[in-house]
Amino acid sequence: MNLSIDVSNKEKVTTVSLAGEVDAFTAPKLKDTLLPLTKEDGQTIEVDLQEVNYMDSTGLGVFISALKSTKEHDTNLKLVHMQDRVHRLFKITGLTEIMDIDNTVRGGM
Amino acid sequence: MEFQSCVNIKKEWDIVGARQLGRDVARKIGFGTVDQARIATAISELARNIYLYAGTGKICFEALDDMNQKGISIVAVDDGPGIEELSQVMEDGFSTSGGLGAGLPGVKRLMDEFDIHSDLGQGTEIKVVKWLR
Amino acid sequence: MSTLKLDLENYKELMKQYIETKDEQALYQAEQFSKYSMQQNISPEEIINVHIQSLQELYPEMPEHIQSSLDFLLETMISYGLAYQEYQSLREKQLELKSEISVAANMQKTLLATDKPAIDGLEIGAISIPAKQMNGDYFHFVKDDNGALGIAIADVVGKGVPAALCMSMIKYSMDSFPENRMDPGVILGSLNRVVERNVDSSMFITMFYGLYNTNNHTFRYSSAGHEPGYYYNSEQNHFEEIDASGLVLGVSSEATYEQCTKKIEVGDMIIMLTDGVTECRQGDRFIEEEEVLEIIQQYAHLPAQETVEQVYKHFERLQDFHLRDDFTLIILKRRV
Repeated sequence: MNLSIDVSNKEKVTTVSLAGEVDAFTAPKLKDTLLPLTKEDGQTIEVDLQEVNYMDSTGLGVFISALKSTKEHDTNLKLVHMQDRVHRLFKITGLTEIMDIDNTVRGGM
Repeated sequence: MEFQSCVNIKKEWDIVGARQLGRDVARKIGFGTVDQARIATAISELARNIYLYAGTGKICFEALDDMNQKGISIVAVDDGPGIEELSQVMEDGFSTSGGLGAGLPGVKRLMDEFDIHSDLGQGTEIKVVKWLR
Repeated sequence: MSTLKLDLENYKELMKQYIETKDEQALYQAEQFSKYSMQQNISPEEIINVHIQSLQELYPEMPEHIQSSLDFLLETMISYGLAYQEYQSLREKQLELKSEISVAANMQKTLLATDKPAIDGLEIGAISIPAKQMNGDYFHFVKDDNGALGIAIADVVGKGVPAALCMSMIKYSMDSFPENRMDPGVILGSLNRVVERNVDSSMFITMFYGLYNTNNHTFRYSSAGHEPGYYYNSEQNHFEEIDASGLVLGVSSEATYEQCTKKIEVGDMIIMLTDGVTECRQGDRFIEEEEVLEIIQQYAHLPAQETVEQVYKHFERLQDFHLRDDFTLIILKRRV
């Protein structure tokens, strides 16, 4: 499986739409896209995970370092449309408590 | 029998000129077909590095005639950007030109002696020697 | 050079034999010749040169255009020869690296070794198998003066060497804690600060820490974002998830870890694991939580160590003997 990354920008909100698997192979690519965005002053980065059906701990690590970077650069990170299986991972690891996560899947369920 | 001749490298075509001159020198010294081909390939590599990374430079050939050994010495000089990580470019499997060139490790393998000096911002000088057996 | 001369003679004879007889045996010897040449590090252009020389000797009147075409061929083979030599040297380097890693893996085994303590009335089964040579999972047992058993099970993000290095750091931090009994929540809190200070921003560790009190058979535990374990209630023949919430180690220095307590009766089990167990895949399908529990139950009648080994064997087979992630499973069973 691969990961496709699509970035679009609207005023102060950058949307990063992901599709595929975020694992040890695809995580470096995501990190290279995501981290620079978190360093742009005043930005909100919204990551759309609707099409992500699998994430492993390496993928989680990317979001953790992105979160740390938003704290340093005063930007915001928001994860939206998270699937159940991926959400379980964020919940177990306690990240749901410290991250802005909206897991309602688009279109309602 | 000692002479030195140089080819300036400015355009891709000059690589061919350098090969030709180098091969002629090697043949006159007495190198066989296989070694001529190896020497020409090494020259290609050195000349292409100049053309790709430094822009301009020159390659000089010299017939060596020691008391008991004959050989060819090739010196490639440019005043390009220089090489930062020498140990890295001398490593197998590391190539910036897409992986298909023999690279400097290839040149080293083709020749008997290899010496390189490079200073950032000042250029690179590579000297290689092959002895006639 | 005399050996090469000999090879030239040999090659010339073989070629002559073949040209005259079209004999399969000569072709077989050609194959041997090429293998021998590789052993002797003879490059392709040299073989072509031997070929040209043999031809010249056998057919002195060889037309010039044939001669030129062979010279042309020789020239084109030079780069192949170089690529082959490079491949050889990379292969040697790879072997070197491999043996270095296996030395490191052995060191890691020694460094992280933990003794499974013998405790009356309590059975302990533990298994930890790395997916690659080095293990990013870790478990550790400590028995304190009051007869309590401390158990740590942890998983570092990623696999291989970086994960293993990180794990050694955790092990030494734990060793430096005072020997007297410490609460799971306090231990995780201190480790969290160590990891947060010392590790790359995208690296984190999950850990479950439990303390089994052998006097009153209570199990006190905290979790730092670790894959939840299970408690098996033997009276009701029922598994329940051990829920404890807490942030993974290394993300925020302010994280605190809640502590829960469970009463353990005779026949009950505590199951601790890493996601290498729950994220087993059969083909493209992830196995379900129920399947893991079913398999554990299937082997639960065995001594605890045999149970964990059988469960491992089951999932190893299920995944075609190819683990995707480090696999660690610990089972505590109260016998009396």
